[in-house]
Amino acid sequence: MSNTIERPQTIERQEITVEELEDRAYELKEKLLRLCGSYEGSVHIGGDLSVADILTALFQYGMRVDPSDIGNPGRDRFILSKGHAAVCMYIAMAIRGFFDYDEIVRTYGKLGSAFGMHPCKVQLPGVEASTGSLGHGLPIAVGLALHARQAGLDHRVFVLMGDGETGEGSVWEGAIVGRSRELGNLVAFVDRNRQLMTSFSEDRIVLEPYADKWRAFGWNVIEVDGHDMSALVQAIDSLPATDSDRPTAVICRTVKGNGVDFMERNLGWHAGSLGAADLERALVSLSKSRKEK
Amino acid sequence: MPETSNFDVVISSRSVTGQTLAELGEENPNLWAITPDISATLVEFREKFPERFVDVGLAEQTAVGVASGLAYEGNICVVSGMLPFLSMRALEQIRTDVCYPNLPVRIIGTHGGLQGNGGSTHYAVEDLGLMCSLVNMTVVSISDPMMVREILQQSMSLPGPLYVRTGVGKKDTVIYDFDERSIQIGKGIVARDGTDITLFCHGEMVVQAIQAAEAVAEEGISVRVVDMFTLKPIDADLVKQCAGETNRFLVLEDHLMASGLAQCISNVLADEMIHLDWFKRLGIPQVFAGFGEDKELREKYGYGLQDTISALREAAAH
Repeated sequence: MSNTIERPQTIERQEITVEELEDRAYELKEKLLRLCGSYEGSVHIGGDLSVADILTALFQYGMRVDPSDIGNPGRDRFILSKGHAAVCMYIAMAIRGFFDYDEIVRTYGKLGSAFGMHPCKVQLPGVEASTGSLGHGLPIAVGLALHARQAGLDHRVFVLMGDGETGEGSVWEGAIVGRSRELGNLVAFVDRNRQLMTSFSEDRIVLEPYADKWRAFGWNVIEVDGHDMSALVQAIDSLPATDSDRPTAVICRTVKGNGVDFMERNLGWHAGSLGAADLERALVSLSKSRKEK
Repeated sequence: MPETSNFDVVISSRSVTGQTLAELGEENPNLWAITPDISATLVEFREKFPERFVDVGLAEQTAVGVASGLAYEGNICVVSGMLPFLSMRALEQIRTDVCYPNLPVRIIGTHGGLQGNGGSTHYAVEDLGLMCSLVNMTVVSISDPMMVREILQQSMSLPGPLYVRTGVGKKDTVIYDFDERSIQIGKGIVARDGTDITLFCHGEMVVQAIQAAEAVAEEGISVRVVDMFTLKPIDADLVKQCAGETNRFLVLEDHLMASGLAQCISNVLADEMIHLDWFKRLGIPQVFAGFGEDKELREKYGYGLQDTISALREAAAH
């Protein structure tokens, strides 16, 4: 009774250079800011900018996904555990061809739109799970990874968590089970931006030694600069085989609000909206930070 | 109407669960069993399908999260454990990871009501209220151990989530003869017919309800006992029918009486603007109940057999 699923059509990983990925990441951040400028409500812009490079590396390179075949059983799965970064994921997926960016901008957060503040799989096929309540993504990803193992499929299950989110006990429950079931096909990216909503993590909540915590739970750990595209690509390339026996945590050193000087490491920019002048200022800063890179 | 037995057969709903799951696992290669360290119920399934058995250890939230992930992939998941913990520790996972995407996860467990003498940490007395308030959730409370089998079988074709409440699950009284009629989720069972009063109940209280009805029958009081084992969706047609035919309702349950079956029935009465001549609820008041055997606790809190008989007499005299 082990394998009742037909071999799915293989999805190849997209061929793309680091420079092209950097262009896509810039495009994502710019599109994020423009959406933030046109949307009247508040956008989780700080945490979005913090993961824009990671989401670019995953959706444009690391994950075997195909926007024209979203139900392919062999596709890599992605769970956005930090569901408040949904709009960043929507746009990253739009850049890959899943959705239409203009439609996201036009309808985001509005009545009847599938593009909400937190992702909903029922309303938006292509998204793998409904998330938004923190600490839920890793156990769900464990379930997805167990299924892959049992069905004899060799895709990976990726989950992206915020570091603040890992204060939730359910994350560590999931970490124990992922290790116990030897899920080498499970990869958790952690956005280690050292900011919670209202505080800096080490000031109020001590998470260090952070990578050691994951190691102590028996996970394979990769530490990387989460804004260095070539380092992210290297991390993805060095993931162990899916049939190996340890899940991997990719701890990404990131900056909340990355690329926009007045948002970086600024507790005021967990979420917010941008007026015309601020949008212009943010775009200039983004462009400048890219040149400095 | 099913035949009721003479209550001398006692079996374990836990072993019925285990055997049924093992059988269903054969027919349904996408059936998984997940547990937070409560695997006695799942021995048969575990032995037959070790690759589809997941013990996550003491981690109710993750048990439900893992079930959600598996269900997203087209699997049917049974999460088995102790209900005080599954219904509360994992409540948000049940609501957000299972009910929100409407996934076929079955939460089944023991210790519904003041059962097992564990004290209030180990009594599930709010569970039905919590589960009934969740969108997409179907909620059942088992009176007869063989019902577990029927319910689990029927649940294989139920697209959304299901909550199944049992008592301690070791020694459960056989009430019905299922050769006569199978049960249907969403339809109450008239376990004993009567014309003066309808006594609604579920779970462990059905036996006591029938005993009370039989006791007052000798006094000329005719009591209809309805085993409303499905609390959600409630069988509103049956409630309306009983209101028309008996006009006096007694609700008996091993649950906080403010938020269980009595509330579900009251909702129907209010929404339908049905006026009854008499209505009373028996169940757990707003207390943390303390220790004692189930029968002793029911008597202490006013919903034992004698209390039920007294309430029926009061209804008849009204």
